[in-house]
Amino acid sequence: MLKIRDICKSFNGVKILDRVNLQVETGGILGLAGPSGCGKSTLLRCIQKLEIPESGSIEYDGKAGFMFQDFQLFPHMTVMQNLLYVPNLKSKQRKKQEHQAIAVLKNIGIESKKHDYPVTLSGGQKQRVALARTLMTSPDILLCDEPTSGLDVATTDDVVQLLKSVNRVDLNSFGNFQKQTVTMVIASHDLDFLTKISDRIVLLKNGKIVADIKPSNFDDQIQLLKGYYL
Amino acid sequence: MEKLFVYFLQIWHGVGFSLTLLAGGFFVGITLGTILAITRYTRFRFITNQVITLVRSTPLILQVSIIYFAIPGALGVHLNVLTAGIIAFGINSSAYVSEILRAGIESLPRGQFEAAQALGIPKYYTWRDIILPQVVSNVLPALVNEIIALLKETSIISVIGGTDIMRRAQITAAENFEYFTPLCIAGFCYYVLVVLIEFIGKQIAKRTCHYHAKN
Ligand SMILES: Nc1ncnc2c1ncn2[C@@H]1O[C@H](COP(=O)(O)OP(=O)(O)OP(=O)(O)O)[C@@H](O)[C@H]1O
Ligand SMILES: [Mg+2]
Repeated sequence: MLKIRDICKSFNGVKILDRVNLQVETGGILGLAGPSGCGKSTLLRCIQKLEIPESGSIEYDGKAGFMFQDFQLFPHMTVMQNLLYVPNLKSKQRKKQEHQAIAVLKNIGIESKKHDYPVTLSGGQKQRVALARTLMTSPDILLCDEPTSGLDVATTDDVVQLLKSVNRVDLNSFGNFQKQTVTMVIASHDLDFLTKISDRIVLLKNGKIVADIKPSNFDDQIQLLKGYYL
Repeated sequence: MEKLFVYFLQIWHGVGFSLTLLAGGFFVGITLGTILAITRYTRFRFITNQVITLVRSTPLILQVSIIYFAIPGALGVHLNVLTAGIIAFGINSSAYVSEILRAGIESLPRGQFEAAQALGIPKYYTWRDIILPQVVSNVLPALVNEIIALLKETSIISVIGGTDIMRRAQITAAENFEYFTPLCIAGFCYYVLVVLIEFIGKQIAKRTCHYHAKN
């Protein structure tokens, strides 16, 4: 369970997050919607502890992993090196980690790129490597900032499938991970994408959560959500 | 012709001394310079600023003299010319190296630090494996320029009696009452060394820059 209580955060005296309260079930996929500049990234960054909120508390079990909008792969390392750097740092089971990395790369369909440098990859491929790199650290919570920006429709659908499989499918079959479920928070201003992937969508505006809808109501309420963008 | 060869041999002897001084000075310079550059990102950043200001605001010839004559005198120790030179040129170079690295660090996206933090990579490893390898590869041409500048500055070592290329040329000139040929030979020696350093720099650049975008 991810519990966010009364989070406040301002930049240069402007309140970006104003007492945000939010709870996400373990294993849930939460879509975080809202117009540009409303503070979606800021909220994710607070959860990851990349920003320190002025007040409030954020609680969760285990650790969080972050997928940056611009991926931030390490350009001087190959795909495999990107995946293996952190695991190798934490323990010496090199062979096992290598098998795991290969399994993950196979599952996301970029095994053939394992010895390539990030600069040679397309946006969609970088996205996959970024996901794989985060998964290698077995996060309990996956925070995705605009995972589909800059991707075409087909690739966006791939990302939906990919993230869903990470969340739902028994992770053991995905690459011998211990964890059974990954909680996800996905920030995006693309409502169509969010309705495809989330089991709940909240909308952030003027520093507050102004809407909170479940999939059974998606069809009815999506028009309402779109209204908030005006 | 034979005279030219004799002069050349006498002066060429100084190349070893100049190169040792350069290698030692640059080793100290890059080590200290890296530490200074990283210190800038801690609460001890004033140290970096102080060293840079101090080095920049005094002539190199004074720095060398202070390290060789003044400090050993005050502390009651003896430094040989080479050691004093390496320390002085090393400190001097560290200020410039740290500025070069600073520019390189600032040109990296901030996201690289954040990605490392989000992945739980400790600070030391972040600098060693994520930040510095990218920075050094990005600023390699500037570092090569710094080595070349340092090589030419090592000629100042003659003020404390170091027998480098320049000093050997002066000695040869004085002994033979002839300046033109020995000084030209000294110039030729520096020229060859600079060309060599540039060549090595390009080779290293080829090897480390393979991951950069090819535009
Ligand atoms: N480090 C910072 N310094 C100053 N202002 C900031 C900083 N980070 C974010 N902001 C401001 O906070 C506001 C929210 O930014 P944030 O990036 O969280 O929005 P967002 O909802 O992710 O927008 P987008 O959909 O465009 O990504 C913006 O007005 C932005 O200018
Ligand atoms: Mg954002």
